[in-house]
Amino acid sequence: MRLSMPLMRRALLVLAILAVAPLLTAKPAAAAQNVAESFVDENIHRGLDILRDKKLSTVQRRDQFETLLLGLVDVRRIAVFTLGQYRRTAPPEDVEAFVGAFRNYAAAAYQSYFAKYTNQTLKVTGSTEVKPTDFIVQTQLSDPNSSQPPAEVDFRVRTDTGKPVLVDVAYQGIWLSLEERDQFVSFLGQNNGNVRTLIAHLSELAVNLGKPSN
Amino acid sequence: MGRFKALVLAVGGLALCAGLAGCATAPSSPGALTINDPYEQTNRDTLKLNGKIDKYFVVPTVAVYFVLVPEGGRRGVHNFLGNLSLPTIFVNDMLQGEVSRAGKSIWRLALNSTLGLGGFFDPASKIGIPGHGEDFGQTLAVWGVKEGPYLVLPFIGPSNPRDAAGLAVDAFIDPTNQIAFKQHIWWSAGREYFTLLDLKGQTYQTIQGIQRSSVDYYSSLRSLYRQLRNDQIRNGRKQNEDLPDF
Repeated sequence: MRLSMPLMRRALLVLAILAVAPLLTAKPAAAAQNVAESFVDENIHRGLDILRDKKLSTVQRRDQFETLLLGLVDVRRIAVFTLGQYRRTAPPEDVEAFVGAFRNYAAAAYQSYFAKYTNQTLKVTGSTEVKPTDFIVQTQLSDPNSSQPPAEVDFRVRTDTGKPVLVDVAYQGIWLSLEERDQFVSFLGQNNGNVRTLIAHLSELAVNLGKPSN
Repeated sequence: MGRFKALVLAVGGLALCAGLAGCATAPSSPGALTINDPYEQTNRDTLKLNGKIDKYFVVPTVAVYFVLVPEGGRRGVHNFLGNLSLPTIFVNDMLQGEVSRAGKSIWRLALNSTLGLGGFFDPASKIGIPGHGEDFGQTLAVWGVKEGPYLVLPFIGPSNPRDAAGLAVDAFIDPTNQIAFKQHIWWSAGREYFTLLDLKGQTYQTIQGIQRSSVDYYSSLRSLYRQLRNDQIRNGRKQNEDLPDF
């Protein structure tokens, strides 16, 4: 049986659309995934470069790292998440004050975590889409002087605010935000849910973390 | 030795019973990680006791070990202890149906026991067969046994009934515990002692860092232990669908 020309043309058009459709829908997701990977690759290397720069004084290193970090991380989103169920009952002004205290604590704590890995190399190995604006970028951290297999470090990147932001990091499957939430919720449970007590404790910790360890 | 084995099995049996009893109330998804700790006060007291044991006995001993044994020697001890664990790892690989990983464990045992001079060196890692951990606690998890309530065990630290039972079964699986020889008790004690030195030596700085940056060290350790065990049970395979939404 031979198809008439208009019918054949229409069939070809349908086939072409069917063939191209997955590409059209997959392209933005793949592009966003690449953006997330590049974001992690460039900025984590910049962070490690700051921490290993011996020309910088301790104060310069701390300030530069903090500026970089606070530009990459969605501190507010993480801070609110770590309050767990208490974010719903805490007064809004306490939540705002907590976000500020968490910012200082995170800057000090993250610097102390990353400072341990300045001699190691980080390689982006791929990424996974959790949701269209939520990606896990997989990396491997390896010590060139060790025969141990590289450590798996995952970065969670959100792109729903228009630019990529870091919301979590996992070392060997352990997510930092979950660990922080478990601590803060437990602390608040022991202190009648008083966010101000947590703020005072976090501020004290941030100061102590800024001091050289014994 | 017979008495020691009976004691281990009894403790394991009790722990297993407790683990099975805890099955009905033992969620392990990240969202439920903050709960399932009904013995929190006892656990906190045990953690304090362990801290004192560490401070007055373990840390000074580890310091002496670091002074007397150079880094190369400590690495040799670490490799040797790892090699001794390989038969137990192999059995657990097989019990979990991880045939490829079981093959790697056997290769590591063969290469490191021979070319690695009894396990003091690790030529297997150098040719691309890195080590991995596996234990009966993980095997139980793969078989569907839930973790049960969170526990802090004296001398051992974070655990749960499933992992405590796993420890006892691993001791039973270990071929060196099946060989009868005159000085076995000293061999066992020495092995446990060096395992403790090795473990504490490797984790001391990390633990110090966690203590220094924690708002609540107890709950930090609980969260880290649960997340780490879940990752080990999955053999590092990602489970992103369980991640919380921000």
